[in-house]
Amino acid sequence: MSSARPKLMLCILAFLLFFTYTCGQASETTTTSTPTAAAGVRVVHVLGLEGVKRNHHGTLTVQASGLKFEAKSAHTTVAIASIEDVLTSQDSHQTGGKVLTVAKIGVPYGGGRVLSLFSREKVDSLTIAYRDSNGGLHGVIFSMPVGQADTLKKQLVALGARTSMPVESQPEKKDDGGNK
Amino acid sequence: MNPTRVLPLTLRRIAGSALLLCLICVGLVPRGLGAETLAWSIQVEPVQAEEGQLPPDFTLAIYEDLLEQLAKAGTFQHVYRSGDRQAESVPHLLTVRMTLLNFERGNQTERAVTTVKGATKVQVHMKIASRKGNVLVEKDVQGTVRLFGENLKATYSLAKHIADTLRDASIPAPTPQ
Repeated sequence: MSSARPKLMLCILAFLLFFTYTCGQASETTTTSTPTAAAGVRVVHVLGLEGVKRNHHGTLTVQASGLKFEAKSAHTTVAIASIEDVLTSQDSHQTGGKVLTVAKIGVPYGGGRVLSLFSREKVDSLTIAYRDSNGGLHGVIFSMPVGQADTLKKQLVALGARTSMPVESQPEKKDDGGNK
Repeated sequence: MNPTRVLPLTLRRIAGSALLLCLICVGLVPRGLGAETLAWSIQVEPVQAEEGQLPPDFTLAIYEDLLEQLAKAGTFQHVYRSGDRQAESVPHLLTVRMTLLNFERGNQTERAVTTVKGATKVQVHMKIASRKGNVLVEKDVQGTVRLFGENLKATYSLAKHIADTLRDASIPAPTPQ
């Protein structure tokens, strides 16, 4: 009985490792796909949009009228003329959300930490500063698959949005995801 | 049971419950919500930092988080955004200005793997001043994410600390104009 327990734990650990690795491979495949910003990009609204909850998933589309965010329960548009700055950056984050975080805590012998090495994903972030009708400054941050933010930025700039850093000259501030 | 003994016991229980309820109510009253601070409105300005010291997403995240936290705390009559023209006509307006002191970008994976390394820290010098330029509150505040959460969680922590500082600060009532 006592010898069966470690074996069971090892089996669970092996399964979780395999599962996370498979998920990581799948997410990398999606992130390296060709950017299709014109048709809308699947993004996560990190913060800033009024009437939209944080970490809400939706579709971001660049239109002549503005930058349109559409989700199941909310949709909003930021007018191109009101955009003061468009900036992009890269970061990495842990995938799996709260469920995997709790699962990682539950894995014995520090196995959760090993899982953390495989459950990371690189993301682009698009930061937009704009003014409302009263002149109040707003900041919006979206997180999206790698390579999409620059495409969206180019489209916004082409339509007349201002930026303090042109796309070509923007320094790549990459997060190495823990590899130093 | 003797009815003459039951009544005082019940009364004592009711009195005890009422006293307990009063104590709970006193404990639940938000601190610092006096008439003094409620007479003020506040305008938030984005963090001032030298170019390249603070990423733009962090600058705007601190700004948005602070607006949200101040509105949530209810310490001030109204919270205005930077550049809001409506704030120009407000008689009792405070302005919160922040200057970056230190920024360390950590790494979520490093935090999850080592649990001791990879913390993201952002420290600002906060200054609350009236329209006339009188500084009412001045303090260094830090936001950190040490174990769970993405790097931007540090901005939430910073904004919460600033809102708590302002709630607990004894801001004098505005002088009548």
